[in-house]
Amino acid sequence: MEGDVRNKARASWDMGSLPPVECLRIERSDSPTPDLVEGTEPGAGQQAAMFVHSRSVEDLPAEADEDAESRVEPQPVADGDPGSSETFGTSENGLQVEENIIEVAQAPKESSWAESRTKEEDICSDGWRSHRKHVFVLSEAGKPIYSRYGTEEALSSTMGVMMALVSFVEADKNIIRSIHADGYNVVFLSKSPLVLVAVSQTRQSDKEMIRELQYIYYQIVSLLTLTQLNHIFQAKKNYDLRRLLAGSEHLIDNLLRRLDRDPGLLLSAVTCLPLASSSRDAVSASLQAAKAPSLVFSILMKDQYLHHMDLHLVFNLVCSSSSSFREGEGWTPICLPKFNSAGFFHAHISYLEPASELCLILVSTDREEFFSLSDCKQRFLERLRKRNAYQALKEAVKTPSYSVDLVGIPELRHFLYKSKSSGLFTSPELPGVYQSEEGQERLMGLYQELHSRLHHSTRPLLSIYRCGETENFMAWLTSGFELYLCLTPLVTKMQAVSAVNKLLKWIRKEEDRLFILSPLTY
Amino acid sequence: MSAMRVDTKVVMLGKESVGKTSLVERYVHHRFLVGPYQNTIGAAFVAKPIQVGDKVVTLGIWDTAGSERYEAMSRIYYRGARAAVVCYDLTDSSSFQRARFWVKELQNCEEHCKIYLCGTKNDLVQADRGLRQIDFHDAQDFAEEIGAQLYETSSKTGNNVDELFQRIAEEYSDSAFQYMSNEAGVDLSQKKDSYFYSCCHNN
Ligand SMILES: Nc1nc2c(ncn2[C@@H]2O[C@H](COP(=O)(O)OP(=O)(O)OP(=O)(O)O)[C@@H](O)[C@H]2O)c(=O)[nH]1
Ligand SMILES: [Mg+2]
Repeated sequence: MEGDVRNKARASWDMGSLPPVECLRIERSDSPTPDLVEGTEPGAGQQAAMFVHSRSVEDLPAEADEDAESRVEPQPVADGDPGSSETFGTSENGLQVEENIIEVAQAPKESSWAESRTKEEDICSDGWRSHRKHVFVLSEAGKPIYSRYGTEEALSSTMGVMMALVSFVEADKNIIRSIHADGYNVVFLSKSPLVLVAVSQTRQSDKEMIRELQYIYYQIVSLLTLTQLNHIFQAKKNYDLRRLLAGSEHLIDNLLRRLDRDPGLLLSAVTCLPLASSSRDAVSASLQAAKAPSLVFSILMKDQYLHHMDLHLVFNLVCSSSSSFREGEGWTPICLPKFNSAGFFHAHISYLEPASELCLILVSTDREEFFSLSDCKQRFLERLRKRNAYQALKEAVKTPSYSVDLVGIPELRHFLYKSKSSGLFTSPELPGVYQSEEGQERLMGLYQELHSRLHHSTRPLLSIYRCGETENFMAWLTSGFELYLCLTPLVTKMQAVSAVNKLLKWIRKEEDRLFILSPLTY
Repeated sequence: MSAMRVDTKVVMLGKESVGKTSLVERYVHHRFLVGPYQNTIGAAFVAKPIQVGDKVVTLGIWDTAGSERYEAMSRIYYRGARAAVVCYDLTDSSSFQRARFWVKELQNCEEHCKIYLCGTKNDLVQADRGLRQIDFHDAQDFAEEIGAQLYETSSKTGNNVDELFQRIAEEYSDSAFQYMSNEAGVDLSQKKDSYFYSCCHNN
C-alpha cells in the first residue's frame, strides 16, 4: 500500500515539463476577450488543468460535466424575476415521488434526547424542522452514521424511511435521486457503502446538493480511506461506523458550514494570498530548497498543487482543530481521496510561529518521517528569514484580502473570478451590506443559484444578467474563466457589461499578485 | 531560537476526552482551556525542557488522539517511547477499561516503556464524591500489578500535574545514568530519541 501511494504520487508530478513562463506570457492577449482559451485567461497557471486531470472516474456524471468542453452557444438571458427558478432541476432527476416529506421527517416521540452530544435537539420540535438544510449519512444497511442536527439515535426511524425509499427504487434498477414536495428538496447520493441524503428548503438545484453531499462523502473517506471503509462493511454489514468517526462529527459540521459560505467550495477552486510575485518566488524557492525525500507537497496558507477537493479537506481539517496544532506540531494520517483513496498520507501541520497565522502543511508518504519534516519546516523558516521574505509574508497575511474599491468600479459590490486552468479564484472582501452571517449566506446563496444555472446539466447558460431589488448580478462563463459580479441595483445592462470589461482588465493587471502563475512541484 | 535535543520520548495514551491534551496544555503552557472540547486529530508533538537536579532533560511529548479511528496506527506514536502516561477519567469507568487495553498493548510491544497511570479530572470528584467511578485502591492495585506508578491529577487546578512530569524526567535521568555507565555506547535502535530538534517555543 505504501508503494502504491508513492507510485501514484510520482505519476502525477511528471507533467512538469512546460514551456518557459516568458513565452506563454507573450502569447497572452493584452485585454481579455470572450474567446480566451483555457490557459491564457488572467490568472492562468502554467501547469495546465492539473486539477481536472486528477479527477477520478468514480465521480458522478453530474460533477464531471462541470468541466466539459462543449458548451451551448452564448445566449445571454435577462432574468428580471427571481422567482422563476422553479423550472430548474425538478423533472429530469430520476423518479418523482408524490409524498409529503414532512411526514418522513416525523420520528417516534419516545426516543427523544438521550445522547450527550452538544447538538442535541428535540427532533420533534419546529426548530428542528425549520433548519434550512439537513444532511444525513447512513450505511447501506440503514444504520445511522451522521446527522447534521439532532442525534442519530433519535432519528433512526427517519433514517429507516430513507433507506426504504432508497432500496425500494434501487431494487428496480432505477436509483432514486431526488424527491420534491411541499417546498422541500430531498436528494440522495448512493456511494457504496454509504448513502447520503440532504433535505433542503433552499432553492439550490439537485446538482448543487449532490456536489455538497460528495464533499461530505470525501470527508469521511479522508478520515478512513475507501479501502478501510469497504473492508469494514464487507466484514460486517451492520457495523456502527460512528465508533470510528467519534469526535470527527465537527469536521463534517464545519464542512457544511463552509459550504454555505466559502465561494471556493462553490467554484471548485481555492484562493491564494495576494503577494508580490518576487516575494512569492522567494517563498516558493525556500519551500523547494527545504524539501525531504518523502515529501509530496507543501501548502503554505493557501498555495496549492492539489485537487481542490483534497485541498479543501486539508483546510477543513486544519481549521477545525485550531488549538491543538498552535504551539506543537501535528502529525496526522490523512487520506486525500482524489489523489489516492486507498491509503493514508501523513500531514505535518504547524504554525510558523506560535503567534503566527501562517500554517505550514507538509504532506509525506512515509509515516516515519515526522522528524525530517519537522526539520524541513525549520529550514524553510530560516531561508525565509534570510531572504527577507518572511516579513513580506507576514505583512501580506495581515491583509489577506483586498477591498473591492481597489478595482475602481463604483457600482461593483463584490465579485468572484475563477481561472479554470489554474483552479484558483479571487474575490474581494465582503462589503458592509453582506458582512453579517445572514448577509454572507444570502449572497452565497445567490451566487450558488447563478452557478447552478450556468452549469445546468441540460440547459447550461453562458451568461446571465439578473436584476433584483437589492442587487444586480452578471455571470459569465467562458472556456477560460468563470466570473460573477454583484452590482448595485439600478445598474443597466450596458453598465454591467462595461464593468465586466474593466474588471477583467484589472485582474489581468494584478494577476501575478493574485494568482500563482508558476506552481512548483516536487 | 535554539536547537534543542530531545532526550526522551513520552507518549500520552487513553480513551478520547479523558483529558490528555489538557494535561499537556497545563504542563507545557500552564493553562487550562475552557470552551468546547476539540478532539485531537492524529497526534501532536511538543518538546519541553525540564530541570532535573543540575541537568536539563528535554521531554518530547506525543499527545495522541483517543479516537478508535487511529488505533491501528497508534504504534507510530508510541514506538520507542521511554515513558507512557496512560490516562483514564476518574468519572468514567469505561475509560479505565480502555486504559487496561493500552497497558496490555505497551506490555506486548514496548517492554522498555515505563508506564504511569493517570486518573484525570480530580477536581470533579473532589467537588462531588458521587462522581467518582474508579476507586483509588482499585487503581492502585492495578498499578502495582503492572509495576506502574499512579497519579491522580487535575488539569483544571494543576493539581499533581507538574509532579507527574517531574517524576518522569527524574526516572529517565536516573535510568539514563545507569544505562550510560553500563554500556557507555550509543544504541542505534534508539536514534530517533537523540534527535536535534530545533525549537521555537521554549518558554
Ligand atoms: N473539570 C475538568 N475537566 C477536564 C480536565 N481535563 C480535561 N477536562 C475536560 O475534558 C474534555 C476533554 O479534554 P481533552 O484534554 O481535550 O481530552 P483528550 O484526552 O485530549 O481527548 P482526545 O484528543 O479526543 O483523545 C475537555 O472538555 C476538557 O475541558 C480536568 O482536569 N478537570
Ligand atoms: Mg486530545
